[in-house]
Amino acid sequence: MILEPITYKGGLYRHEEMVELIEDLGGYIIQLQQIAGDIIILALVPKEDLDLVRGIAKPINGQVTVSPLVGTEIAVVSMSLEIHHLPHATCDVAEYLRQFGAKTNVIGLARGFGKRIAQLNIEERDVINEHDCAILLYGNFEECIRHKNPKISRGITVPIIATGGPDKEALMKCIDPPVEGYVGGLGRLAHRAKRPEELAKLEEMVGEVSRVLDLRRTEIFKDPLSVAPPRLMDLIIEKVEAIHEVTSPTPITVQMAGLRVKLPYEVYADTLRNLELEQGVRLGDIADVSPSRMRTYIWVQVRPFSETKVMV
Amino acid sequence: MTGIEAFTSDCPEKTGGDYYERIAADVLQDMNLLRVISKLHVSVDPTVPLFIVVGVIRKLPAIVKVHDFASLQVQGNRITLSIGNESYLAPFLKFLWDRYGKANVEQPDRWTVVLTVPEGGAEGFEDLPVYDPREDIFRDLMYAMICIQPEGFKVRKEAYVDGKFYFVASEDTLPEDVVERQVREKFALIGEEL
Repeated sequence: MILEPITYKGGLYRHEEMVELIEDLGGYIIQLQQIAGDIIILALVPKEDLDLVRGIAKPINGQVTVSPLVGTEIAVVSMSLEIHHLPHATCDVAEYLRQFGAKTNVIGLARGFGKRIAQLNIEERDVINEHDCAILLYGNFEECIRHKNPKISRGITVPIIATGGPDKEALMKCIDPPVEGYVGGLGRLAHRAKRPEELAKLEEMVGEVSRVLDLRRTEIFKDPLSVAPPRLMDLIIEKVEAIHEVTSPTPITVQMAGLRVKLPYEVYADTLRNLELEQGVRLGDIADVSPSRMRTYIWVQVRPFSETKVMV
Repeated sequence: MTGIEAFTSDCPEKTGGDYYERIAADVLQDMNLLRVISKLHVSVDPTVPLFIVVGVIRKLPAIVKVHDFASLQVQGNRITLSIGNESYLAPFLKFLWDRYGKANVEQPDRWTVVLTVPEGGAEGFEDLPVYDPREDIFRDLMYAMICIQPEGFKVRKEAYVDGKFYFVASEDTLPEDVVERQVREKFALIGEEL
């Protein structure tokens, strides 16, 4: 069953019909958010049932859009947290990606600025590596990017999308070692991106991120995971009582090949490892449960079928 | 850029230079400093690396004196001041406390200040300088320059001389002749002399 990532936007009235429909179709709700009288649902639904979902949404004034980034967690890496890089363009990028369903985390480097002095520390590297991909927001000069990139991208194992002021071709020339994606014309700004050409750049960036993540999806598809992360999320919600006490908007963040469970590792790691998913299959048998570098969370990485020979 | 007579930039990388021109315009507009500057030149050389801004400031408002915002009545060594414009009250009170001590400065209500001054202290009191707007503008300008410059340029040199200012910053130690040679060259580009 191929799942299509969607965003449903509609009113509070009769929204539970949509929730039930998604569950009945065998889809997964990644996030349900209520903002005043509005409901936003990020979900995965079977591709062949997309028209049915649209048909149910229409009479209740709901809008269903395909959001290619639902179920991904993306690191938006700003070279620092100072006024030079925030809020523009870092927040523009992070906010724009969220519109397409991604869960974005802005990571401000302690010493990412400068041409000669830029560096990435171990904690930053590890936090970035816990995401599905990283967007490195470089500045406006080729000269700086050329010097900076090898230091900043060292040790990052997830796909990197580099953005910067120079155009795409110039970025491809000056970035060595090469990265997975490039977006030119999106460097340091001192104003909010709102002009048509700036919005077009953000659109291009979403396209590039989707392309890079699609390649990753294809790789995963060749050797499928032992359990789909959204299904694992549903099982944890069903079987681990403590997750209902978490006040975070997303107690469990779904990634392409894992989950971030926002429970303290020291207390709940063993509970998760011993969690029986199906007929004697425990979570610890098919996934690595490790401490996340983000707060005290738990990071679950699902192993592929070729390793476990189990499919839940 | 609105209000600036001459606004130029130079950079070995054209795209980068254009971006910095835009960043400078945005930051100065956000901080309401466009009306203060008459000429500006932004120079960025990422290869050195070196960031230089030179500019000319328009004629600034004069130093604010006591008679500009208050009227006074003198009775012996007691001066009663009626405040007309509250904008300068905070720096004025600080000035009075420093000069006469807190014990000799009373403020019975929002608009009145009663002062006990030493013998003959009331003479020329109304012409005392209270606030110099140029200091604030220079400080604001330098803050704007720090926002405009590429981040990480921690080594800085700045000055304000006769209505002209310059700001030099780099990641590395600044060249010794940066002011004598490079800053003067940049001033020449906007038709000025340091």
